[in-house]
Order: sequence, then structure tokens, then C-alpha cells
Amino acid sequence: MDTAFRKIDIDQYDEDLLLETDLYDPDPRDPSTVLSDAKQKAAAVRSALAKGDNHGALLTILDQPPYGPGVDEAKNLTLQTVVLILNSTKSTDVQPLIKSLDSTAQDTLMKYLYKGMGMPGWGEVSGSVLLGWHEKLTEVAGTGCIVRVMTDRRTV
Amino acid sequence: MAAPQVFPIAQVPLTTHAFSPDRSQVAVSLNNNDAQIYTRHGQEWTLTETLSEHDKLITSIDWAPQSNRIVTASQDRNAYVWSQSPDPSTGQLVWKPTLVLLRINRAATYVRWSPREDKFAVASGARAICICSFDEENNWWVARLIKKPIRSTVLSVDWHPNNVLLAAGSADMKARVFSAYIKDVDKRPLPSVWGEKLPFNTLCGEFASPSGGWVHSVAFSPSGDLLAFASHDSSITVVYPDASGAHGLINIKGSTLPYLTLIWTAEDAIVAAGHDCQPVLFKGGPEGWAMTASLDDATSTPRSAGGSPKPGVPPRNAGGVGRLNSAAFNTFRNADTRGGINPGGPTLASPGGVGVESEIMTVHQNTITAVRPYEHGANGEVTKVSTTGLDGKLVIWSVNAGAAGLAARLGGVHLR
Repeated sequence: MDTAFRKIDIDQYDEDLLLETDLYDPDPRDPSTVLSDAKQKAAAVRSALAKGDNHGALLTILDQPPYGPGVDEAKNLTLQTVVLILNSTKSTDVQPLIKSLDSTAQDTLMKYLYKGMGMPGWGEVSGSVLLGWHEKLTEVAGTGCIVRVMTDRRTV
Repeated sequence: MAAPQVFPIAQVPLTTHAFSPDRSQVAVSLNNNDAQIYTRHGQEWTLTETLSEHDKLITSIDWAPQSNRIVTASQDRNAYVWSQSPDPSTGQLVWKPTLVLLRINRAATYVRWSPREDKFAVASGARAICICSFDEENNWWVARLIKKPIRSTVLSVDWHPNNVLLAAGSADMKARVFSAYIKDVDKRPLPSVWGEKLPFNTLCGEFASPSGGWVHSVAFSPSGDLLAFASHDSSITVVYPDASGAHGLINIKGSTLPYLTLIWTAEDAIVAAGHDCQPVLFKGGPEGWAMTASLDDATSTPRSAGGSPKPGVPPRNAGGVGRLNSAAFNTFRNADTRGGINPGGPTLASPGGVGVESEIMTVHQNTITAVRPYEHGANGEVTKVSTTGLDGKLVIWSVNAGAAGLAARLGGVHLR
């Protein structure tokens, strides 16, 4: 039986079609600015880490994260930078560090934890670190934080 | 302090409830196509009448306090207004339905009478809100539709006290304030913080929570000057409108599962409830809002079984990040660390002799679907609220229970 008709995008004929982009406010920055911002932040994070300032590094990278379409390179760079911070933080420092973040930064951090867990092949490399942070973050910010990650259309 | 009054109405989910004006009767829907009226006899509620006209699930019920009429909305795309009239043969008062011409092609999701009870609003999945008023000539209710700029299913509505403005929460992540002015019904409204000229379908404001999420519930404050809404990002947002359009939004992020329903109990207090199975009290003002207490106070509330908090289970943290201490969580953790569990069994004895039960530490054992004002105090503030949940329970709570409970406990410490 021919089932190709199932693949026809019938929504395109709907005048009132609700697009994914209608559901959140777009990033005011254009994609090239977002990428240069991400690169700048990555560099700032590296120098902060070299000084042992994990708190400052985390604040820098979680501020105004890239989201929306067309900024995949900036998203990947930011994710790698976040994981770099997570990996270089001593496990005893994790909880005080999370507690010092405001709730917006906590939500953003949770987004990156889930994104990291979703990357193919990352489980073996940084799985235990991500899960450790996830546990600590859930203790501080609660299940509401996880719900917000699932709800928010501004995916990182 | 008064403990909550718990009434197990049914073994099935209660989708919604509405009390009669004198609170002696309650209309509920047991997750089916009938609306059922229960009458209170002491501590018991007995089924006295069934309103059958819908042929699909009833989604919402509202009972007009002054005119004593019930309106029901259903997934069959219809709404009916029920009023009591004497039966010609027996002379007994019976509920008779009147048809409402909604003109929608999707389910009706929510219904509320306007404050003057000459209109009602029906939210629907057809990206529209029907504002219904009575047509004397034809003896039915006709609807005018608010369509723009709604982009998805409307999940809830709430009327402003001026009988004209209507707030709507929708699955397109927005809470909106509309004018529902009907020329033949309404007098011209006085200018308010929401605007001056208000022809039908005027959009007076559009609001969203930073993290988005379906807006499950909206409510105007008692004065009508503030708006609050609960969204699926587990937060509630209070709107401080401004004539210039630069509205102030205060977003309060919750640490638990999302709220589904909220009401204002005073100009500075909101009760919200939902997937976390307990109603919580928020208090605040223009400088900020915070969750202050849970009405479901584990230490002072008689449990449905046993009568006292179970031994071995840590007391539920009412305000905090409590879900990690829930009984369900402990059950799974025990299964994980000790291995082996008898699946489906309601209780099991763990090696320490401590019973682990599937019952959770709240009065409601499942999601709360509706919270409504039950009793008003001398100054118009709501002193008691009623909730219904997917666990089939109807519960009446004292709003100041959380604070009073704390005071009582502190008092107890003093005495010792």
C-alpha cells in the first residue's frame, strides 16, 4: 500500500498555522553576534578557570545563552564550555556553587545538563559528572527546575 | 485551628466542582458526560440529581450564586444552562437545560458566569472564547466569539469585577486580557487600569512567563487591578498593569510540579494548587511575591489512614524542595538499593519494620484540578477554599491554616 501521503505536510495549507517560533521571544542578537559572544565567553571562562574562579566562569557562561534556530555552532561551543567547568569543579564545591546561582542561571544550567546527557557517546565520558551535578541541582532547585527545562521552548 | 474537611466523593477523578449559593449542594462531574449534584447531610454528601444532556466528557461547571443557574461545558462542543423549574406533573423543582449556540468546532474547555450573571464565557479548543448572552426572542443563549489573536486552545477564563473585561489563559503560552463588552447587555464600563475604550474583542494585554508553558489558570484580583496566572513551567506570574503598556510582571518560580489552578483570596494573597497535590498560599505586593505556606500542613492534618504521620517517613517539607522525600520516591529508592519489591502491592514491610506505602503525604492523593472560594470573611477576603482532585476527593481548607498551624506549633513549644 502506498503510504507516501502520510508524509505530506498538510499544515502548510493552514492559514493559522502555529509555528514553533511563535511560542517564544526570539533572541534579539543576530546569529553572528551570538557566535562571537559565545567565543568571547569561552575565552573568558578559560582564563577564569585558570585562576580557579569556577563561580565567575559559570556565571559568565550561563548569562544570555544562545537559543533558537541558526546558532548551532554557538550552542555547541557553549555546551562544551559548560561541561569544561563542570569537569574542573571539585565535587565538594558543587553544592555551594549551585546555591550561589540565581534561579534563572540554575534553570539554564539544568538545560545544559540535559543537553549533555542527550549527546550521543557522552555518557561514558562525562555521564557521572553530569548525573552528579543533576542530583545536586535537583536538591537545591527542586523538580520545578526540571519542569521548566522541559517546558521552555528556548532550547539551548 | 481548623483542619481541612475531607470528603471522598468518588473513586474516579473529579474534573471540576461548583458549590450552590448556600454551599448545601455541590455540582461535580465524575470524569464523564453527566453533571451530578450532591447534597450535604452532616458529614455525608449524597447524590440527589444527575444532569444528563451532554454526550461527551464535561470539562467545566459553574453555579451562578445570585440567579441559581448552572452552566456546563463539554467536549461535545456544547454548553447548557440549567435552571430549576417545577415539574408540571409532580410540582417538584427539577433542573431543565437551555441550549447555548456556541458555534465552535472543537471541545469547550472552561466556563464561567460573569459577575452580574447576565453573560458567561466559554473557552474552547477552537482558538476562540464564546461570550454568551441570552436572546429573549428565541429563548436560547447566543455567543459572540473572541478569536484574535488566540493561537491555540484556551484553557481557562476569569471575569473582571466590572463584568466587561475577561482574562484568558491559553496553550499558546500566553495569558491575555480581552474586552467582552456586549452592547445590548452591558453599560459602558468606567476606565480602568486595563484601558479606557473597550469595544468587543479589544486586547488589553498579553503576558507570558519567561520560561513559557501552557497557561493553565488565570485570575483577576478582587479589585480587578491585578492579574495572576499559573503556567506549566511550575511558576505563577502576577501582572501589575500600567497604562503606558509597560506592564510589570512578577514571576514566582516554584520548586515543585506545575500548578493547574489558582484563585485570589485577598488583594495580597493567592492560593494555587495542581500536580503537587497540595494547595499553597502565596503572599506579596508590588515589591515581590513569595510562597508562604502550604494549606496542607502535614503535622496538624489528620491523615486519611492511620490518623498520624507515618513513622519512619520524614515529614514533608511544605514549602521546600520536598518531592525528593515523598513516599513514592522512597519506594523506588528502596527498590533500587535493597532490590526486590512486590509490584503493585500497596504496602510492603522493609527490613527495618517501617511500612512503605504508595500513599503520599498529602490530603489529596493525586493532582488537584480545581480550587474555588468557599467562604468569605467580613472584609470580603476568602477564608475557606474548596478543592477537588483526580483522587475523587472534595476538600475544604481554611486559608490561614498554614500560618495558624505554625503559630500553634510555636505556642506548643512555649507551653512545654
